[in-house]
Amino acid sequence: MNSLIVNIQKKYFQNIAVACYSALFALLTFSCFAETRPANADARTVSVGVYQNAPKVFTDEFGKPSGIFIEIIEHIAKIEGWNLRYVSGTWAEGLDRLVKGEIDLMPDVAYTSDREKTYSFHKIPVMSVWSQVYAPRGSGIQSILDLNGKRIAAMENTIQLETFTRLTNSFGLKITLIPVPDYKTEFEMIAAGKADAGLTNRLYGLMHARKSGLEDTPVMFDPAPFFFAAAKNASGQLPEIIDRHLSELKKDPKSAYYAAMKRWTSEDVQFKIPAWLQISGIVLGIALFISLVGGGVLKHQVNARTRELKLINQEMEQRIDERTLTLKETNLKLHAALEDLAVAKERAEAADQIKSAFLATMSHELRTPLNSIIGFTGILIQQLGGPINEEQSKQLGMVRNSANHLLSLISDILDLSKIEAGQLSLISEPFELKKSILRVVQSVRPLAEKKGLDLTLEVADDIGTACVDERRMEQVLLNLLSNAVKFTEQGGIRVSCVCEEKNYLICVTDTGIGIKDVDLERLFMPFHQIDTGLSRKYEGTGLGLSICKKLVELMGGKVGVKSEYGKGSTFWFTVRGDIGDEHEYFQESPMHQYGKQKNQSDPGSQ
Amino acid sequence: MKKKILYIEDNEQNLYLVTFILEKHGYQVFAAMDGQQGIDSAATVNPDLILLDIQLPLMDGYAVARQLRTNPDLADIPIVAVTSYAMAGDREKAIAAGCNGYIEKPINPDTFMQQVEQHLPCREE
Repeated sequence: MNSLIVNIQKKYFQNIAVACYSALFALLTFSCFAETRPANADARTVSVGVYQNAPKVFTDEFGKPSGIFIEIIEHIAKIEGWNLRYVSGTWAEGLDRLVKGEIDLMPDVAYTSDREKTYSFHKIPVMSVWSQVYAPRGSGIQSILDLNGKRIAAMENTIQLETFTRLTNSFGLKITLIPVPDYKTEFEMIAAGKADAGLTNRLYGLMHARKSGLEDTPVMFDPAPFFFAAAKNASGQLPEIIDRHLSELKKDPKSAYYAAMKRWTSEDVQFKIPAWLQISGIVLGIALFISLVGGGVLKHQVNARTRELKLINQEMEQRIDERTLTLKETNLKLHAALEDLAVAKERAEAADQIKSAFLATMSHELRTPLNSIIGFTGILIQQLGGPINEEQSKQLGMVRNSANHLLSLISDILDLSKIEAGQLSLISEPFELKKSILRVVQSVRPLAEKKGLDLTLEVADDIGTACVDERRMEQVLLNLLSNAVKFTEQGGIRVSCVCEEKNYLICVTDTGIGIKDVDLERLFMPFHQIDTGLSRKYEGTGLGLSICKKLVELMGGKVGVKSEYGKGSTFWFTVRGDIGDEHEYFQESPMHQYGKQKNQSDPGSQ
Repeated sequence: MKKKILYIEDNEQNLYLVTFILEKHGYQVFAAMDGQQGIDSAATVNPDLILLDIQLPLMDGYAVARQLRTNPDLADIPIVAVTSYAMAGDREKAIAAGCNGYIEKPINPDTFMQQVEQHLPCREE
């Protein structure tokens, strides 16, 4: 029955699980004493010894007997109608109580012929278990020979120890045996270094070694069948009943026997994956699953998105192509437009030059015949060529007036054209404003006196130099003054000049026909002579005031009118004073190069 | 002795008109129909005043004025431009070319003599 298995793979043993059998058992015979409580076969109560050898038999954390043997006996008891009474103690105490008859059954007892003499055994073993040497991790124990000289902890009175002793003796090994009451103490001693190795059954070892920091060695021996041992002289045929049940239980794979074996060996005994590893595994598994599923989903989405992107890309490329084409076309059009524009600009510039040339030519060509008309009329009236009669003089006077009117018309039109073409040049130089005003007033005085009008001049003492185009300023004043004379039949005309901050304010006030409010707005617009019903009476192009306005504004001043219909008007304009800001003025006015003489500024031409 | 006035003018009507007025006012008028003739006449006649039309054939009035001013013998003779040019800068251009005065056409018979005589150094009458 003894066997020694060395150097066999651990996994192999794990798979074998519980199987074998041990035979030798040194039975300690105890003297039986104390109270004898004969086990009665018919008794309802069956006493069962309990000791600590998980998972075969042990007391669980709640103090309740548990394990393979307990489950099997409870199953049998349930069917047989027994009351089970458990008596806890050590292995040795249990055996002792059985001998004394204090208990009826002791679980987990290996059969030997010696024990047969003391106890009654049933025939069918509950289970077979190997014995194995356990040692601290990394002990280096590879065979039974490595145990030479070691301190080996073992439970006393066990077949296991008996067999082991015989084995070591046969190999001539020197072993120091350390007896222990139970496996728990044994493992604690090995872990504490008080023993080098220990003997246990494989089921206990598998269950507890890892927790104690121990590991199983390849030294495995003595597969032994274990039974319930009954008191030798007990009646009630307990062994027979147990055999009968075991026989039934072992036939049915779904029986309580296999359930117990499975629960206490397969589950607990199986190599336990640490919780953290299990959790990690689960987490990893879930992660893997999710990643696989996610990967699939993602791949699908990526594919879909890739297709979409490809489509979008194609669309974009197409659009870009179209856009590029459009841009090219636009560019071509733009170039064409620019060329057209350049041509147009050249044309415009050419047209501008033509216009300037035309103005110059017109000026010359119109004035040359007028020169003759006005000139010869003049000398005839002056009678330089000989005496003329009154009627002739009157007629020649009409010719002269019409010619002068025509001349002023031409001059006005040319002026306006030049102003609107931006070709009017102004020359700004400081001049004495008072003298200038006086000159204009004197030129008009004959006309005023002719009509019997008073012409007064009020110039403040602080009037100094003005800084605008002198001739253009005179042109404006002359125009206003001529109008005043023209539209006033009685009363007088007053010219005043005062200083207002940096500017001079010049006013021409008359007691003439006045202007209606509705007409005031249009007064300074070109080609507008107010329809007074007296139009024919008052000559004029209707350009005078609009030219005045533009000239004054070009010179940086303002012009305006206050009037009361039927009572008279006051026309006013401002002239920039020479207050050391010529430079500023020059910057503001684009036309400051040259001025030119004008007919209107010539007192004789009106 | 009558004062001598040289009138350089290509337009016959103007020439006649001005000559008539000037002669009526007691001046001796020399006429020239183009610029070169005018320059030549100026050198020979040595007038008291030159009336100069600007728009002349072959050589315009500005050029004539400039050339007259290059002759030291004639440098003191006043030159008055008489022109129907009325565009911006005409007056300044005339002055820059060497003219002393500027009379715009059409002339005003009432003031013409006054305009001319103000450029004569002094009057005998």
